[in-house]
Amino acid sequence: MGDNQFKLPPGFRFDPTDEELVVHFLQRKATLLPFHPDVIPDLHLYPYDPWELNGKALSEGKQWYFYSRKAQNRVTSNGYWKTLGIEEPIFSSSSSNSTSKVGMKRYLTFYVGEAPNSGIKTNWIMHEYRLSSSASDCASSSTTTTTTTRSSKRRGQPKTEYSGYILCRVYERDEEEDDDDDGTELSCLDEVFLSLDDLDEISLPN
Amino acid sequence: MYILTLLAQKLLLHLIVLTAYIILDSSKEDSRKLSCLLIKMAPENMSISVNGQSQVPPGFRFHPTEEELLQYYLKKKVSNQRIDLDVIREVDLNKLEPWDIQEKCKIGTTPQNDWYFFSHKDKKYPTGTRTNRATAAGFWKATGRDKVICSNCRRIGMRKTLVFYKGRAPHGQKSDWIMHEYRLDDNNTSNCNITNVPTVVGDAAQEEGWVVCRIFKKKNLHKILSSPILSTTTSITTETRSGQSLFDSCPEGALEQILQYMGRTCKEEENEAYINNNSTRFNLQPINTGISNTSNHNGFHEKFLKLPTLDSPNSTSSQDCYQPNIHEGIMVTENNNNPVSPFTDHHQNMDYHAHHMDSGITNWAALDRLVASQLNGQTETSRQLACFNITDPYDNDDHDDELQLPSTLRGPLSSSNTYHATHDYNNREIDLWNFYRQSSPLSSSDTLCHVSNGPI
Repeated sequence: MGDNQFKLPPGFRFDPTDEELVVHFLQRKATLLPFHPDVIPDLHLYPYDPWELNGKALSEGKQWYFYSRKAQNRVTSNGYWKTLGIEEPIFSSSSSNSTSKVGMKRYLTFYVGEAPNSGIKTNWIMHEYRLSSSASDCASSSTTTTTTTRSSKRRGQPKTEYSGYILCRVYERDEEEDDDDDGTELSCLDEVFLSLDDLDEISLPN
Repeated sequence: MYILTLLAQKLLLHLIVLTAYIILDSSKEDSRKLSCLLIKMAPENMSISVNGQSQVPPGFRFHPTEEELLQYYLKKKVSNQRIDLDVIREVDLNKLEPWDIQEKCKIGTTPQNDWYFFSHKDKKYPTGTRTNRATAAGFWKATGRDKVICSNCRRIGMRKTLVFYKGRAPHGQKSDWIMHEYRLDDNNTSNCNITNVPTVVGDAAQEEGWVVCRIFKKKNLHKILSSPILSTTTSITTETRSGQSLFDSCPEGALEQILQYMGRTCKEEENEAYINNNSTRFNLQPINTGISNTSNHNGFHEKFLKLPTLDSPNSTSSQDCYQPNIHEGIMVTENNNNPVSPFTDHHQNMDYHAHHMDSGITNWAALDRLVASQLNGQTETSRQLACFNITDPYDNDDHDDELQLPSTLRGPLSSSNTYHATHDYNNREIDLWNFYRQSSPLSSSDTLCHVSNGPI
């Protein structure tokens, strides 16, 4: 999707940190600030099943990214997303006041079937990022410091309308994730050889 | 009077000219500022000038696949084609320490876990074929064996893994810095252009010429051990000790370490060509991963293999029981489809390939203890199968001294059990042996018969 406007040399992949997702993509989206690259589509009105996301959401490898809005229950045509009950704060390291909480990350699992209780659990996982309430205030105030008065007037509206933005990352959990050796880490054979190197210097007990 | 007015006029003129200049100047500056702004506002789209004011769009990182590294970047580099963006820099490996490379090869301002660069390999000695990879503070030492990189089932290059040691050669201190060095395969050019005139690249590319490298810091062992995937599959002791102290403590601890590594889902690499860049090392090859959820893989350090020749009556008699069956396919499918039978007992299948009697331990007791400790640890939890293939990197070494102990068995055995052992002969062909054992109930005291009967 969106990334055809936009050409990077081979080898570049969309691999954002949590912080980047919140600070760059979510905060700017929510405060209506222009940002680049605007590669993540808004699928608010389209409750796709996770396997339908390909070609609709921004896909990178086996992960899909899209914007949506806060909702009580996320129901799709064939199932629903159920929260795992785990929440994780996202901190910003680059902001002026050392480390501050900018958002929250929530984990959800996809169930096929009728909400809320008769579904079958799948391996589809969603990470849902939202701005923490204080952070959205912080964000607008920090971004407005440069342009002071003008945007503070604007501030009221977007808050009500756009602070509901969330950013979703969806992927299917792979049981054998560790299996593939794409060269970015040591393969387990390499690890063995490495440890064998160590043993070279150790004398054995008699 | 007249003169005075003239002067005044001149002054005025000067003033006017000056102010004009000033106005002009400032407006120029403004416009320049404006254009600056415009440039900055312009889509950073592709202004990824990496060195200097780099602008990789947020959220994007350079994570090339091995194929991209070889097929796009290194190929262009070797053939002197322009690479659009200066993402991968040239680095003189002898002049920069890994931590300097990290600084020099930054892409953008985002934090990175790995760094990429081109390096031109040069020979260590004009006559030899070894590469000089020493820096001021240490040296890069190759480890393991090179991995074949394939693209569309076609071999395109090789990957060498190196570790950075601080200090000088014999007494270097191992660091966490790892390098993957990728080189293009000469063969692949001739492979794909079989009908065409083969392009002459030159054999020297093996040890000379451009390579593309990735360096990164090895992840801490703690993380690996505590990963959820491991914890579901481990059946060995899961001590989360740090790797270093483990290695320093005792070889059996280190062995456990290896076992844990092998217990992870090892990828089979049996299709790879055997290229032993480092001829002082054995190759361990896990054969069976199909039943890894219930099995452990056992590895043995080479020193345990340096054992004296043993004229054990058992070793000869047991060989009679085994019938070689050279059907790799059978073995693989059996292993995958029959996770329960016939591997329900505690099996240990070790294939020893011993040589070099002059060095290493000459003490069977050590092995004895080792095997015993292994077997005791496994009694309840898991069904064991360890197929190991220990390759002899020395091609034409003393074949006569070969010692083969095909299996060490434990526990009451059901009437017919199939054992698979692999043996890699010195001709580097993989022969898979399908050992079929007729009913031979072994008591556990027989377990170590191969070894305990030996001279102690």
